[in-house]
Amino acid sequence: MSPLWRDEVAIYLAPRKLALVRRARGPRPRVVAEAEVAVAASASGDIGPVLARLAEVLAEPTWHGAAARAVVADHPWARYGIVPWPATRLDAAGRLAHARYVLGDTYGEAVAGWTVSLADTPPGRCYVACAMPATLRSALEDALAPARLALVSLQPRLIVAFNAWRHLLPADDTWFVSVDDGSLSAVLLRDGAWDRVHMARLSPDWSVELERLQAFVRLTRAAGAQGRMFVDAPAWMRRGATESAGLEWLEKGDGAPAHDLALLQRMYA
Amino acid sequence: MRSLARPVRLDFVAPVHRAPLAGAGLCAVGLAAALALGLAFERKLAERSRLEAALAAVAPPRHRAPSPESLQGAAEAAAIERALHIPWTRLLAELEAASRDSTGSVSLLQVEPDPSKQLVRITAEVRTLPDALAYLERLQRSAVLRNPMLESHERRKDDPQHPLRIKLSAEWRT
Repeated sequence: MSPLWRDEVAIYLAPRKLALVRRARGPRPRVVAEAEVAVAASASGDIGPVLARLAEVLAEPTWHGAAARAVVADHPWARYGIVPWPATRLDAAGRLAHARYVLGDTYGEAVAGWTVSLADTPPGRCYVACAMPATLRSALEDALAPARLALVSLQPRLIVAFNAWRHLLPADDTWFVSVDDGSLSAVLLRDGAWDRVHMARLSPDWSVELERLQAFVRLTRAAGAQGRMFVDAPAWMRRGATESAGLEWLEKGDGAPAHDLALLQRMYA
Repeated sequence: MRSLARPVRLDFVAPVHRAPLAGAGLCAVGLAAALALGLAFERKLAERSRLEAALAAVAPPRHRAPSPESLQGAAEAAAIERALHIPWTRLLAELEAASRDSTGSVSLLQVEPDPSKQLVRITAEVRTLPDALAYLERLQRSAVLRNPMLESHERRKDDPQHPLRIKLSAEWRT
């Protein structure tokens, strides 16, 4: 197998589940294996049990010898911030320190030791910053190594979901909401870029959360915004709502693959 | 066309500064052009070397050290050229006119030119020293000669008439 045509394994890591998709590359790329695995949840959001379960799954030769692209759930392993372009000229280290300050101001000491990454943004614009636990990457690489999987990408879920759906999103006054099992991330778009980002934990009762989401839509429109709200959510969540509720579901129908597997496959679209 | 949301490039492992396809294409075109230019330059250099080698094989050497024979030949040629430049006709005509003006008191014995110095040496016999001086004055008025001088005079005792042999020198004008 040529390194240029190396297979890729996309892995989604969430507190209570794992999803894997293996994709053969070459002139005709195709999905050759996929799996979704439940994980016994840990109360503290520790990634240890998830990685332990991942190591068990990766024992199968199906997943061996490929490049790995990992996606981690926003909650509890990612925090976002919109960092204004600094008034004074800053180098890369200065921008990183500025972003760390903005994230610390929003989330407090919880992200003090986390690794921060910045989005590639044209000069003069606000840019997206994301923090992730500092040990996550090395722990993930340790779990991948026995299966000869080389980590080539590590992204949080909201970034991957947004990039997968952005071709359907109007550039102005648009909310993009990504709902996962137990958490919600929402981005307000202005002039094609992220203007605000919110994260929230969801209760087990989805009907209550759906009402909250619909109330949020009504409130933002009442505030004068004319925008629309596009929601990326699993099929079982969509069944409880209708289009008339003011939400626009990005994924349609019930026959599609599982939500997380669909996200991993959409990474390559 | 409706404007859409821009992608967000953020990754904790992969570099996010990706070169756009057009930039990569332009870079490839630039490299190809540089390569083509280098190859063309190399071909021209090789062609120049080949032509220089061919020229060296065909043409005689441009600078050759002169041999003693050629130096001697050149000196002889220069001497001949100088001898050919002596104005014999004007010189002899002037000397003949000067002898005629002296009413037969001067007998011209020898005319010896020195082309390298444009000098002519004249040997003659006169009866008296005033005849010699008159002859010298006549030559000094000549338009062909310049700076005539009396170099020596000697009374010939071996001759029954005891003539005075004089030697003069003068430069000829070109």
